[in-house]
Amino acid sequence: MRGMDIELTNVSMKFGDFTAVYPTDLKVKAGEFFSILGPSGCGKTTILRMVSGFLNPTTGGIKIGGEEMTVVGPHKRPTALIFQNLALFPLMTVWENVAFGLEMRGWEKTRRRDKAFELLDLVALGDQGDKIPDELSGGQRQRVAVARALAVEPAVLLLDEPLSALDLKLRQHMRSELRDIQRKTGVTFIYITHDQGEALTMSDRIAVMKAGVIEQVDTTDRVYDAPATAFAATFVGANNVFRGKVTSLDGDMAVVETKYGALRAKNPQNQAVGNKVVLFVRPEKMQVLSAVDREENAIAVEFERRDLEGPFVNLFFRREGDVFSAHLVNAGDVAHQPSGHKGLCFAPQDGMILPVGDIADE
Amino acid sequence: MSRLLRSFGPHLTSLILLLSGVWVIGMIIGPQLIMVEQSFWYTDRGGDAVVITVQIDAHYNDIDVLAFDKMDAEDLAPSPERDAKIAEIDATIAEKRVIIAELETREVIPKKVYSLRNYTIMGGSHLAIFIKTILASVAVTLIAFVVCYPMAYTVAKLATPNRAAIIMLGLIIPYAINELLRVFAWLMILNYNGVANFLLGLIGVEPIAFLESGTGVFIAMVYAYILFMVFPIYNTVETLDTSQIEAARDLGAPTWQIHRRIVLPHAKPGIAVGCIMTFMLSAGSYAVPYIMTRGTAEPWFTQLIYNKFFESLNWNTGSAYAFTLLVACVIFVFLMMRMFKVGIKDIAK
Repeated sequence: MRGMDIELTNVSMKFGDFTAVYPTDLKVKAGEFFSILGPSGCGKTTILRMVSGFLNPTTGGIKIGGEEMTVVGPHKRPTALIFQNLALFPLMTVWENVAFGLEMRGWEKTRRRDKAFELLDLVALGDQGDKIPDELSGGQRQRVAVARALAVEPAVLLLDEPLSALDLKLRQHMRSELRDIQRKTGVTFIYITHDQGEALTMSDRIAVMKAGVIEQVDTTDRVYDAPATAFAATFVGANNVFRGKVTSLDGDMAVVETKYGALRAKNPQNQAVGNKVVLFVRPEKMQVLSAVDREENAIAVEFERRDLEGPFVNLFFRREGDVFSAHLVNAGDVAHQPSGHKGLCFAPQDGMILPVGDIADE
Repeated sequence: MSRLLRSFGPHLTSLILLLSGVWVIGMIIGPQLIMVEQSFWYTDRGGDAVVITVQIDAHYNDIDVLAFDKMDAEDLAPSPERDAKIAEIDATIAEKRVIIAELETREVIPKKVYSLRNYTIMGGSHLAIFIKTILASVAVTLIAFVVCYPMAYTVAKLATPNRAAIIMLGLIIPYAINELLRVFAWLMILNYNGVANFLLGLIGVEPIAFLESGTGVFIAMVYAYILFMVFPIYNTVETLDTSQIEAARDLGAPTWQIHRRIVLPHAKPGIAVGCIMTFMLSAGSYAVPYIMTRGTAEPWFTQLIYNKFFESLNWNTGSAYAFTLLVACVIFVFLMMRMFKVGIKDIAK
């Protein structure tokens, strides 16, 4: 199996008056684990269905492995799709499911059966081949779907939120398994999800999508640490939000006047003085102060509540209707006495100034 | 039972049970049992009933003739010969009356004889019609399936909801019209001087005897029972998850393979129900073949049954014929269930 690269040029999709995907250029490298991350209804599934061939783009062209795919039907493309509900064939046994693509390619029964069991071994289901899908657990069915898709030796595997039906533990386990399978096979994965945790843990690169537009395409680290838009900053991971106006510049830093005073932070997109901006600080970069005793980037707040996550603790604060959060390591010695939480502060290099834009709802 | 009682209370529950009982026993089990019972006996009148009737008639005639002879004799002048002659005629008449009485008892109180005779007396021509009816019903079922499957699939999976509703409405509305009227409509269309032949004439085709060749029965039957095939198939295909069709296509299946491997197996219970209903209705149809052939083509087996019951007034043979048809239908049902590997439960769904 060999992954292929995918190239979308000026691809858009309209359903009547509704534009699901605005003209988009996107390149996915061969052998990459690429995620498209966005809230439901943002058009990510539409992109997937255009790549798999179930939808024809209104404009633009799709190339897979350098070949134009626009006129090629889904059954002739080097892609395999894993559906959100998996779409296993309930009336066939597990191995028949896996061998279905091979059956369609005219493989004779013993040969395709052997191949199916080989693939089932790959996903650790070698002993479940003669059951029917309904007899398997959610995670097992998931792996059957992967094996079935891999059986046709696709160059590109398209996954449409396949983990969304699983419970948390299983989901976390399946993440690493999918990642493993991707590394072992070298197939290009395009993974659709609205779960930023999933996208961050598995992907090489992520495209953040909102309302039919891809806002940022970058490596996972860059998407998290250097979001390009206000939406990316708030959809991927949590963020504290301060709105204001740039008042002065200082190299790659800038000072923003907010209703809680002047705050200094990085200015990666070179916002000019007078621009309306949003300043973001990740909760884990926030420091909790027992007294507002310093000048820079310190805000007096009221403590609201503490959520214990086990290894981490989330603290929530309030001021004038805004909610702020800090994410601390639970070292066992943090005295979470409300009286001890009077203010928040952050280092200037931990803040990020971005142009005004939509903030993702939590 | 206790659930029924809890939901409806004692009065309503007993009413429901009573009505169900009347329905099951009075409408289903009772008539069937009576029919089956009837089919296993015949009335033995010690020879043919007709012969006895003719004999009785002959004897009555003789008595009438003798009465004239007696009147002639009475007109003679009184003499010992005259008395002897009258006495002789009286004796003969009395003798005849005894014979008539004996014949009449045999006629009025026929002997009920249990046997399989009703099943074995079916002649070659009737057997041929029976087989033809079964085969023709199978053919109607097959044609209905071939016509209905694409239709049901289109409505269930391809059409937009609005268009699906319109197609369904188009299918249902004609069924609001009486079956006889619909069949008569086909009669007018397929008549030798009918619409179909008129249209064929426009493109220069010689008129075809649709009705006389029996083709008309097929067409009218497929049309008459099409809904019973469409709806069960539609209902099952509709429950098929569209992503399964897409998954199959994505894995490289051409359209016919998608139907063979995914849609048809899923629709099996619906197809079985549709086939069973269409077959039963076709094999048991009386009006459609009666109207469409009007005696010009071979009758349907149901027409023979009707004739046995209401024309030769032989309910016993009629029952045997009807029961034979019922058995054939039941065998067909089991064959279908076997063929489609579906159980009663799947069908009930």
